[in-house]
Amino acid sequence: MTAVVTTPTSQRVTGLVKSTPGRLSLIALLLVAVTLLAGALTAWSVQTRSAALEELATRSEPLSFAAQEVYRSMADADATASAAFLSGGVESPRLRSRYEADIAKAAAALSTATGEISRSPEVGAALSTLSGRLPVYTGLVETARTHNRQGNPVGAAYLREASSLMRSQLLPAAQDLYRAETANVVRDQDSAGGGPWSELLLGLVALAALGLAQWYVTRRTNRVFNIGLVVATGLTVVSLLWVSVASAVVASTVADSRENGSAQVDVLARARIATLTARGDETLTLVARGSGAAYEKRYGEVVAELAALVGRAGELATEPAVRDAVTSAGTNLTAWQEAHRRIREADDSGDYTTALTLAISNDQGGAAAAFDNLDRDLVTAITRARTAFTGSVATARGALTGTVAIVALLALGAAAASVMGLWQRLKEYR
Amino acid sequence: MRRLVVLLLFLFTAACAPVPGSAPDITVGSAGAPSPADAGEVTAPPGSAAAVPACDATASLRPDGPLPEPGAMPAGSTMARIAARGRLIAGVDQNTYLMGFRNPETGAIEGFDVDMAREVAKALFGDPNRIQFKVLTSDERIPALEKGEVDVVVRTMTINCERAEKVGFSSVYYQAGQRVLASRGSGITGPDSLGGRKVCATKGSSSLANVVSLPSKPVVVSVANWTDCLVMLQQGQVDAVSTDDTILAGLAAQDPYTEMVGPQFTREPYGMGVPKADEDFVRFVNGVLERIRSDGTWATIHQRWLGVLDRNATPPAAKYRD
Repeated sequence: MTAVVTTPTSQRVTGLVKSTPGRLSLIALLLVAVTLLAGALTAWSVQTRSAALEELATRSEPLSFAAQEVYRSMADADATASAAFLSGGVESPRLRSRYEADIAKAAAALSTATGEISRSPEVGAALSTLSGRLPVYTGLVETARTHNRQGNPVGAAYLREASSLMRSQLLPAAQDLYRAETANVVRDQDSAGGGPWSELLLGLVALAALGLAQWYVTRRTNRVFNIGLVVATGLTVVSLLWVSVASAVVASTVADSRENGSAQVDVLARARIATLTARGDETLTLVARGSGAAYEKRYGEVVAELAALVGRAGELATEPAVRDAVTSAGTNLTAWQEAHRRIREADDSGDYTTALTLAISNDQGGAAAAFDNLDRDLVTAITRARTAFTGSVATARGALTGTVAIVALLALGAAAASVMGLWQRLKEYR
Repeated sequence: MRRLVVLLLFLFTAACAPVPGSAPDITVGSAGAPSPADAGEVTAPPGSAAAVPACDATASLRPDGPLPEPGAMPAGSTMARIAARGRLIAGVDQNTYLMGFRNPETGAIEGFDVDMAREVAKALFGDPNRIQFKVLTSDERIPALEKGEVDVVVRTMTINCERAEKVGFSSVYYQAGQRVLASRGSGITGPDSLGGRKVCATKGSSSLANVVSLPSKPVVVSVANWTDCLVMLQQGQVDAVSTDDTILAGLAAQDPYTEMVGPQFTREPYGMGVPKADEDFVRFVNGVLERIRSDGTWATIHQRWLGVLDRNATPPAAKYRD
């Protein structure tokens, strides 16, 4: 009778590890795992960056602009309704069409913002207020108009109620919306423009693993170069370089988009908001007719803030077109201040009619003309800065096209090459 | 093998975590019309707790001699100071139809009170247009006089002892009374049927104090201007408005679905408010009032604005304390 000796599993595994072919197989497995994992994680990281850029270009920045438009249209509608009230009689067709255009623009900008509510639930409350109360506001303005047409002074009370609704609920909600959307822009820029630290780390880990493997193989087989492992190392280096360069380009263009684009747009948008608030206060002081001291005080504060913002925009401007527009805005602001001083002088000395004409008529020296010119300059500057922004973001997106596919392919190639290289050595042990 | 089965079962149940199955509801923000700014319910009775000694505040200062001609005001007097400035600053309302309101068509401020103020300007300057209007809410009347921001307040201002301690009053230029305005068919027939119903009045007016002290205990809502009360009535936020019949007539004229109900339950003598220190100006204004009572100007002005209330009104007689 012959005794059959069966070696237990654990002894078989230890035997495998202790022998060189076993170790080579293990190294091959490890290399495949490391290269594929590094490749997958790098690809995922690049994908996140690319997604942030896409969000920035297609959602955050357009929504931030839409929020700004909502504020601007509603504040202008309110100022126009007040100006129409002041001019007396049946309001002029020019003011009526301006009011209607403002409401239509506000509603359109609002529907743009509302379309993306599922992405940013934190703006839900603000959007709900705006969508719900804007029709109430327009209803009150229409009631005021009807009463004015009948010659009933109660129309003025409805207009006051509408204006109070606008200032206490609608405009603060629009400002909340603008702030939330601008925060999204900054968040997406941070997410896209961060340094490629994780990608670098993964690439270096893969290179380290390949280097160690090559050193072991050289020691064991006394051959300096293993072609497969060298090819795998080369592919990993290419992948690492590609990702580093692409990420560096993206980081630099995103920083550009901030400096030449979104930072300036934010300051200019806030200047525009301040312009509209000041205009509203100026007209309300006249509507209050002698008891508008609170509005006049607020006008002073807002105009000081506006001057500071216009100055800041001038400092930040990097393009000559933007700088010219901001300089022109500064000139118009000074002209408006001068007109306002004359309005206050006339009103305080009892000459209400002159004050009114200076405030709402379209003559060149009046406040209305200066305000319109100032607004137009700010719009020019904002449009230029936005164009610079979208250009930078498009460049960044272009830099990342195909990077994910390349990284994945190179990782697969490196894994295959390292397996091939070690297979050559393993064959020798058969 | 058994352990594998248990592990698989555990993973399976963990994977089937409960997912909320209810459909999300649509949340609505506030609905309905907004209220006018500064509208609010009155919980505590307004005015000072200290009792004011009873007085006859309608007795004013007698004019001393005939009225000075425009341009020939006595030196050093309040009238000379106003004349030197070149215009009279009058505190009026632009929200009370018929008494002091802004004409929506022309943008000019007109009304019974405004015409009275123009008469004073005419007596000072010979020109009723030498006047600057400062629009005041009911609340701002007394502070404006105390700070000297206006020369005179002609704004449905009831003379009473509490106010007479802070400002000076001319003689009575109109005798009004408080009534109630409600929508037709509301079932409100006067101040006695206001129990638990919402009644509107402006902050700082004597009407508000009168409504708060009504025995029928209404819920009192205060606003800044009288037309805001009409807005709240039209929006269904109050059931009635209670103030002087002159003011109510103006509100009713703008809305044919409202009507004045019930009797006059208080007497509201109107006087022109003047800063307390300007006693010579009080005498001057009383002189102007004497003149317009006797030469028919008062009747003309009354007919123009308040003829709808009382076709045969006569100017109230002046009472003097010296």
